[in-house]
Amino acid sequence: MTSISKVAHFQPEQGEQTAPTQDKDQVHRVLLGKKQILVTEDEPLLIQLERAGIHVEYQCREGYCSSCSIKLLWGQVSYPFEPLAWVQSGYLLACCAIVKSDIEIAFFE
Amino acid sequence: MSYSTFNRKHFDSMKEPMFFGENVNVARYDQQKHPIFEKLIEKQLSFFWRPEEVDLSTDRKDFQRLEEHEQHIFLSNLKYQTLLDSVQGRSPNVALLPIVSLPELETWIETWSFSETIHSRSYTHIIRNIVNDPTKIFDDIVNNEEITKRADSVSKYYDRLIEMVNLYNTMGLGTFHVPGKGDVEISMHELKKALYLTVASVNVLEAIRFYVSFACSFAFAERTLMEGNAKIIKLIARDEALHLTGTQHMLNLMASGKDDPEMATIAAECKDEMRQIFIEAAEQEKEWASYLFKDGSMIGLNAQILGQYVEYISNVRMQAVGLDTHFETKHNPIPWINAWLVSDNVQVAPQEAEISSYLVGQIDNDLDESDFDDFDL
Ligand code: FES
Ligand SMILES: [Fe+2]
Ligand SMILES: [Fe+2]
Repeated sequence: MTSISKVAHFQPEQGEQTAPTQDKDQVHRVLLGKKQILVTEDEPLLIQLERAGIHVEYQCREGYCSSCSIKLLWGQVSYPFEPLAWVQSGYLLACCAIVKSDIEIAFFE
Repeated sequence: MSYSTFNRKHFDSMKEPMFFGENVNVARYDQQKHPIFEKLIEKQLSFFWRPEEVDLSTDRKDFQRLEEHEQHIFLSNLKYQTLLDSVQGRSPNVALLPIVSLPELETWIETWSFSETIHSRSYTHIIRNIVNDPTKIFDDIVNNEEITKRADSVSKYYDRLIEMVNLYNTMGLGTFHVPGKGDVEISMHELKKALYLTVASVNVLEAIRFYVSFACSFAFAERTLMEGNAKIIKLIARDEALHLTGTQHMLNLMASGKDDPEMATIAAECKDEMRQIFIEAAEQEKEWASYLFKDGSMIGLNAQILGQYVEYISNVRMQAVGLDTHFETKHNPIPWINAWLVSDNVQVAPQEAEISSYLVGQIDNDLDESDFDDFDL
């Protein structure tokens, strides 16, 4: 809620203050090497990375194959449903993870 | 010691380990030590399909028009897959059911293995539809040297575990002389070690070995050839994704020590050997790729690209079971394959929709970093 009023305060000309935004429209930064991608909480990370032109390995796209497993260096993600695949400590499943804060991710080094 | 089909002892099955505890007595699912296996069963049942539902009439015409070296690629893959699913249609049952101790895991093993028999039936469906004499193809599976070489690597861990468990069930613990094999030591430690390595080799079978054939099938389909076959392979790949998740869970649960503390020690002890199983299998699959393309490549795919894909997918699978990646290839050389591997019907099952707000922080998972990443010998 605070972020909405901030946006409205600093950029009143964009008319943001008229849209009663919820947490859903919250934008987070995803750091990947030297790249930075902006994502929302509306959709899982995978589809938003793909839209940004980043290839991510996948198979099932519903949390049961672990192909989309990516290193999560820091930050928060959540899962709307518990994935069937094992989520390794320090990793996320891109196909079903919702980004909840700024995060940094990495593929194989 | 000796196996009982209905264990009369009173015990709390919620306190049993996955394997080598009490034989399961009541097949009950109202309580589960590891609910993941119940979820895998439900998912697998929702995937049920029958090969005969897929129409292969245009595949026959396509097959006749393939060049000879392409027919070789297609048939060789089919033979190899037939071998792999012949093994998988029985071995989880034969090897794991006598030693399993949790009802939900026992039923997962049976459900898993049953789905492999559907895969085997689908190969007969395909072969019957594209050639006049299926016998020649099936007979070659036990004659062809390239295939039998592979049969040895995929069955040896299973066979060893089965032999050891047989001895254990009849003789108990001790060292026994087996004609032709010499002295075989049966201790709980050796049994558990054989089990851990078997599960690792099954993970490799389902998570790596199948993917070479998948790539070839989809490369044909990219050229709108053998599309009925590709439809079947998609269904098989969907099942296999679930199976490999099953073995990943078993391996990771074992290594965590949360299921059976002794298993954590064994997982640590076996880490190098397990790594070697992954690397050797990947090398064998690269060799297989060369055999497939010995008389010529196909559009979009050759031995080199397929070899890189094997390396890439092996890295993905190694990481999933807590091993450091081994191969140079860090990018998928055939990214188009994923569009074929994905199932078209991405639907959320009702039981998943009911589970809400499962929150996982960056390192706040089932396991501690130290449980997993730092197994160094
Ligand atoms: S694509 Fe299968 S778990 Fe994400
Ligand atoms: Fe199979
Ligand atoms: Fe399988």
